[in-house]
Amino acid sequence: MGTAQLIQNLLNGISIGSVYAIFALGYTLVFSILGIINFAHGAIFTLGAYLTYALAVGQFGINGLLSGMSLERQLPFALALLVGSVLAGAIGVLVERFAFRPLRNRGADPLLALVSSLGVALVIVNAIQYLVGAEIYTFPAGVYGELPPALMFQVSGHPVVIRTVQAIIFAVCLLILAVVGYLVRFTKFGKALRAVAENPATASLLGISVDRFILVTFFMSGFLGGTAGALVGTSFGVAGPYFGVTYGLKGLAVIVLGGLGSIPGAVLGGVVIGLSEAFVPADYGAYKEAVAFAFLFIVLLFRPQGILGRKQLQKV
Amino acid sequence: MALLELENVSVGYGSIQAVRQLSLTVEEGEIVTLIGANGAGKSTTLRAVSRLLKVRQGAIRFDGRDITSLPPDRVVRLGIAQGPEGRQVLALQSVQDNLELGAYVRRDREGIREDLARMYRLFPRLDERRHQLAGTLSGGEQQMLAIARALMSRPRLLLLDEPSLGLAPLIVLEIFSIIRDLNAQGVTILLVEQNAKLAMQHSARTYLLEAGQMVFSGPSSELLEDERVLRAYLGG
Repeated sequence: MGTAQLIQNLLNGISIGSVYAIFALGYTLVFSILGIINFAHGAIFTLGAYLTYALAVGQFGINGLLSGMSLERQLPFALALLVGSVLAGAIGVLVERFAFRPLRNRGADPLLALVSSLGVALVIVNAIQYLVGAEIYTFPAGVYGELPPALMFQVSGHPVVIRTVQAIIFAVCLLILAVVGYLVRFTKFGKALRAVAENPATASLLGISVDRFILVTFFMSGFLGGTAGALVGTSFGVAGPYFGVTYGLKGLAVIVLGGLGSIPGAVLGGVVIGLSEAFVPADYGAYKEAVAFAFLFIVLLFRPQGILGRKQLQKV
Repeated sequence: MALLELENVSVGYGSIQAVRQLSLTVEEGEIVTLIGANGAGKSTTLRAVSRLLKVRQGAIRFDGRDITSLPPDRVVRLGIAQGPEGRQVLALQSVQDNLELGAYVRRDREGIREDLARMYRLFPRLDERRHQLAGTLSGGEQQMLAIARALMSRPRLLLLDEPSLGLAPLIVLEIFSIIRDLNAQGVTILLVEQNAKLAMQHSARTYLLEAGQMVFSGPSSELLEDERVLRAYLGG
């Protein structure tokens, strides 16, 4: 592999890896607060892609209930991404309110919450199919405005290409990671959030409203999932209502690889999986999806708690 | 009017009735002790007041206000803080962050800073370890942190669950002298203790629980001389 190819793979890997990171962070936040995996996260990813597409492009195709309808005004991409992600966050809040909280209040087994979230995923995916059909929606060129489609430069005589969308993805993800990292690490909000994650009963004895923090966590998680979906959608097209399923599974591989419940672990795991995929030779492109899991198996053989995970302490 | 009033309160876990028809009062400015054997319902009572446990029957009033069905965080906002049993410090956060979270319900930055300095004066050992993770502290230090953290909310009523549990005798004395100082500064205290003798020596009134029911109450000085109490709880 030449230097140019190496650099190209690194750039590709870091860009897609940064999306995996913010997506996986959505899983991690909910897991660290409730100790459960929210299986609706992949569906929220899909939903985020559709919402941003709808707001930015304003019309859908020939299938589904919304066929032929169009919005009078389209939002600029940045605003569509923001509003779409906020809406995805709001859906996340509804998921907590109606799929998780009632079970929690009844003291139900966490396994039931897992099944409940699978049900939510089905509802979301089917609702999307019903509304807009199963066709692939591609963001039109120039959706970002007057930017060139790609940057190109030479490394020892060979071209290296950075697509504009890759640069945008990386910049958006970096910004989000910085904001979330700052919030969780340094603010009063973040300290309270970590207190709820460590011990909800103790947190409530400090005057922290645990239920409210759980809602906020689901909002953040939905926002992150929605953004990730929209970013992947602009890069590769919004490929039908089941678009999020592969990413949902990949996101699970990322958090287990990085260490369940660890925020730096989710970020590191995302970048590692992104990079390992980018280095799959083009001839073996069909095996790309398998790489994440192969990598996961290998790491877990040596570090069952994940790269940055702490050894599990059984809660009494 | 009593600051805290429990009226015929029953609390249970599942099919177990841990506290039955308990009535007690704590007047403003008092130290009141709750003693009894293991499983008598002392901690359950405190957890019910903090609203961590559902009250099945009866009413809890704080400063005349019915708090029987408020969520725990609201009770803290009204002025009740609990130093929980087993020193539930947040092990993964620093000593200072634990203390600042103790002041979570407050908005007065100045006052919080002053109180933080006061806690460090009161517990110099926490001062030395302010940037250490709370989980790395010794048992005694964690107990101090749990008490200091509860005080950071500037409670009107402090609930202390087994502050001497598992501590060396010298540190126990130190903690009790701090409890007395706090009370002198106007904090009302409801204390649950295994170390019944010491607790009664430091409190005005005592309630004795047995199998979830109150069997005796009165001035601590009288109970300290009561044959029954001595035999049953003080090994006398």
